[in-house]
Amino acid sequence: MEDGYRDLQLVLRGSSRSVKSKEISSKVWKIIGLIVVYALLAFAALIVIFPFYWMIITSLKSGEEINRLVPTFFPEVIRWSNYSDAMAKLDFGTLLRNTLIVGIFSTLGTLITSILAAFAFSKLNFKGRDMMFSIFLGTMMIPGEMMVISNYISVSRLGLTSSGLTGIYIANIIPFMVSVFYIYLLRQNFKQIPDALYLAAKVDGKGDWTFLWKVMVPLAAPTLITILILKLMGAWNSYVWPNLVAQNQKEYYMMTNGLRNSFNVASDIDQYGVQMAATVVVTVPLLLVFIFFRKYIMKGVGRAGIKG
Amino acid sequence: MESKNNWKAWLYLAPVIILLAVFTFFPIINTFYVSFLKNYDYMRGTSDGFTFDNYLLVLTPVLKSGPGTMFEEVMMTALPNTMLITIITVPLSIIISLLIAIGLNSIKALKKVFQTIFFLPYVTNAIAVGMVFSVIFDANTGIFNAIFNTPLHTWIAPAFGVQGSTVNYWSALFALSFYIIWHSLPYKILIFLGGLQNIDKQYYEAAQIDAAPKWKTTLKVTVPLLSPQILYTLITSFIGAFKEYNSVIGLFGSEGGKFDKTTGPSSMKTMVYFIYEQIGKNQVQYACAAAVFLFLIIMVFTVIQFRVSKKRVHY
Amino acid sequence: MEIVLKHLTKVFPGNPKKNIRDTTAVDNLNIKIKDGSLVGLLGPSGCGKSTTLYMIAGLKQPTDGEIWFGDEDVTNLAPEKRGIGLVFQNYALYPHMTVYDNVKFPLTNLNVVKNKTIQKVVDNNLIINLLENNLDEILNLIKSSLFKGKYSKSASARRIVFKYHVVTSLAEKIFKFGLQYSENPKELASSIVNKLKDENSQILDKFDKKGVRYNKKFEILDETGNPVKEKRHLTADEIDALVQETSRLVQINDYLERKPAELSGGQQQRVAIARALVKKPRVLLLDEPLSNLDARLRLQTREEIKRIQLNTGITTIFVTHDQEEAMSICDDIVVMSLGKEMQRNHPQEVYNNPNCLFVAKFLGTPPINVFPAHVEGTELFVGQDKLLANKALSGKKEVIVGIRPEGFIYNPKGEMEFDIKSIITQGRDMTILASHTSNPENQIKMIIDSSIQIPNGKVRFSIKSTKLFVFDKETEERIYLD
Repeated sequence: MEDGYRDLQLVLRGSSRSVKSKEISSKVWKIIGLIVVYALLAFAALIVIFPFYWMIITSLKSGEEINRLVPTFFPEVIRWSNYSDAMAKLDFGTLLRNTLIVGIFSTLGTLITSILAAFAFSKLNFKGRDMMFSIFLGTMMIPGEMMVISNYISVSRLGLTSSGLTGIYIANIIPFMVSVFYIYLLRQNFKQIPDALYLAAKVDGKGDWTFLWKVMVPLAAPTLITILILKLMGAWNSYVWPNLVAQNQKEYYMMTNGLRNSFNVASDIDQYGVQMAATVVVTVPLLLVFIFFRKYIMKGVGRAGIKG
Repeated sequence: MESKNNWKAWLYLAPVIILLAVFTFFPIINTFYVSFLKNYDYMRGTSDGFTFDNYLLVLTPVLKSGPGTMFEEVMMTALPNTMLITIITVPLSIIISLLIAIGLNSIKALKKVFQTIFFLPYVTNAIAVGMVFSVIFDANTGIFNAIFNTPLHTWIAPAFGVQGSTVNYWSALFALSFYIIWHSLPYKILIFLGGLQNIDKQYYEAAQIDAAPKWKTTLKVTVPLLSPQILYTLITSFIGAFKEYNSVIGLFGSEGGKFDKTTGPSSMKTMVYFIYEQIGKNQVQYACAAAVFLFLIIMVFTVIQFRVSKKRVHY
Repeated sequence: MEIVLKHLTKVFPGNPKKNIRDTTAVDNLNIKIKDGSLVGLLGPSGCGKSTTLYMIAGLKQPTDGEIWFGDEDVTNLAPEKRGIGLVFQNYALYPHMTVYDNVKFPLTNLNVVKNKTIQKVVDNNLIINLLENNLDEILNLIKSSLFKGKYSKSASARRIVFKYHVVTSLAEKIFKFGLQYSENPKELASSIVNKLKDENSQILDKFDKKGVRYNKKFEILDETGNPVKEKRHLTADEIDALVQETSRLVQINDYLERKPAELSGGQQQRVAIARALVKKPRVLLLDEPLSNLDARLRLQTREEIKRIQLNTGITTIFVTHDQEEAMSICDDIVVMSLGKEMQRNHPQEVYNNPNCLFVAKFLGTPPINVFPAHVEGTELFVGQDKLLANKALSGKKEVIVGIRPEGFIYNPKGEMEFDIKSIITQGRDMTILASHTSNPENQIKMIIDSSIQIPNGKVRFSIKSTKLFVFDKETEERIYLD
């Protein structure tokens, strides 16, 4: 190597200063860094949380107060009547009944089909298992719109959209009794249960069926709870399909349809308080569920990303 | 394990297979099929034979052109809207959530509190919070105009009581993008945090020994090591953005907004919006053609992203 | 750089709630490491040797005590400001970067202090020199890079860099002259040389006109005629030069473009050393660098570490639990146990003169043979056998005697009688497995010359006095004999 390069004298940046001043500058920069990070996080958190705050305080304001040019950050007069008006306008009882019936049955259905399929995919050996599972996973890549149209044709032609509430319930429940993602989630969990347990049960003369419900299901309870919560939340939030099958008939709406369609027409500003009260009624139950089941929800949602 | 439980296994799978066959596999094929039918009547199941016209009508001005045609609605409105939403929200939401995740990963105190706050939008109803945003962005009384001192600026709907007030398309796009990003942060933050926690601490120690400044470590070590998660969120949020619908309904109502035509498309209707709108109009065959088109776009872009990232993603 | 550890202590706090007590990983360590020496920290796992290393690196903060680099107290200095190189146990190479980028990474964070030079002229002169003197060889190098009917720029450059110790950009420049395509390369080369000489004189003219003075090495001079120093980021060429030079030292030139996952353990290890060395650190720290390698590579690599350390003269601290490794390459070893220094000296000296039972047991394969023994007056007994008499012994007490396997001499009149169990001959030496009446359960290993005939059954041996050590039974400290 040419001498000019061989004799390069390398120094750390800022190395000419004394040890003491280097120590101090490290500390100062560390503190500055922390302040910046916390400030940015706090700012982002403020933006995230602000709509919730605004929703709640607007829901308690009178039309006059909402209408002021300078918005108030806390209602001067708390108007609880917005809530009773909202409940009446939403026809909350009907929405809740429809949502709960659809939610509970589709969730139970999903749990049962997922448990059975996940068991077959994780513990049973059969020809074409891996290929079947790949096909299942492949369907997750296809946009739902590809199926929605055709499914709508099917339920219409079966007469489910024109045979009263029962038909609507069936149309809202049956197609949602299976979920490939939850099968995948549960299969991962079942696979972690050692095969030795399964073989031991066989030696004891227990059948697959007993083993599945007496051993596997209790062991996978946390994942099942995750699925249960996410699925119920899904029912609460579902809009597109229930809106299609309800065909603008109020008594068939589920929660989110009811909310959107009750306040669809650009209503006068006095209505904003009632509208926000209605969104609070729809949003807060979800937030409560999240606060109580945070661990389950975040685990279930995060699991998706790990495999990529 | 022995193979005699072969038929038993299929019994366990039977409910899922039946349901998927009826509500997933059949519909996919049927959608392709219907997209080629002429004058399809979905209640009776009758049609006037095969045609390619559905695609020509939806995607080209060959058969019918001008305002009010389906070509206008899809190629001049829905597709540009969808594309713009994608181009704006995907990179921004990934960058912002990456920054937040890296920030969260570097702190100890209050970490749990911040994590909970940042996750809140995930558990909310897209339509409900969309309605909240439309109140925030309200021209007359919205807090957004009050904070940024832009009185009567229209974001979502015309100002109340102002003659000839219209909505600028780009303002509406800004409000929508803002909302979509707000709503899509939590999922990405969660994925990135999971990825960050899996990165071996030794890489950071090595970078520190190598005297790399923090920003450089983040850019040259953290981000490349997160590339699998970045690719994953890129593809999922890309698909999500292409299927954007609920946010539009939440923010602009089920009519999809009405904007000043001179500034851009006259509404925020997206591809998916168009598809559902056709069902309501009893024009299922056009909905199917558009759905197939959307499916192909998503496929092509996903494959391209996989290809491009193959070299850059470190596994 | 001399390194001094003063009262260095590290306590990992426990958790009173969970009834976990504080653990002292390093306990009042006082060590002075001479400039340019290779010192091994040796001990069983959990003895605090890695913790000590990480404290020297700055990645762990000491609970008490000081760390000095030369005349600087660096105890509270952040690791990035200490100017050290560290090779991690599992290397911690950045998996997404090529070997080249891994080695280069530390350089991008450093400055260089250098005489200000008219680099362009120096580079041109270098090319002129190469073209005038080594044209044929260079052409051969480029032509040997023929691949699929094309000359490869990168392969040519790699070869030219390797042979002539020039930087990559310069080698690529030579490739781009296109000499390999020319029908008369000599003529082309001389025209290029002329052009470069013209360019040089033009550049130098400009400097002359501005009144800038420079010396023969084209270093710019100030008014007093001394070279002007400058401090700045490294140029791409300087970085390349250092990466190439270091790669040559640790012999990784051939896979600079590969990713770490495509390398064997030994290759990764050398890349890790290159990354630590390339920045010319004041101190090189190695944390069990050989533990991930197979036996053959381990042997080879430890020789290499010794060679590199000798070549660079960097003060090096080497952590290992393998006594053979430490013994074979270190100038000094520090034997540690439970966070304390047990003994520190030249490896052979520590082996020959262990100061406690722990050190005696820890060093040597096969391990030292240990016998329960007792002292009566000045005499030392193992069971019934009287080993020796020494003035340093007195009174009546229990002691422990350690005898190295090579400390036995077959002698029918020897002091100790053993019951031979089996004899394993391994070429030059043989290993005798035996037992002694003092503790029949305890298997004794002896190594003696395989040419000696040993009868079966009860056999007597005499003991080499230099291979026999006496330890106090309570304190396990060595009792030195006169």
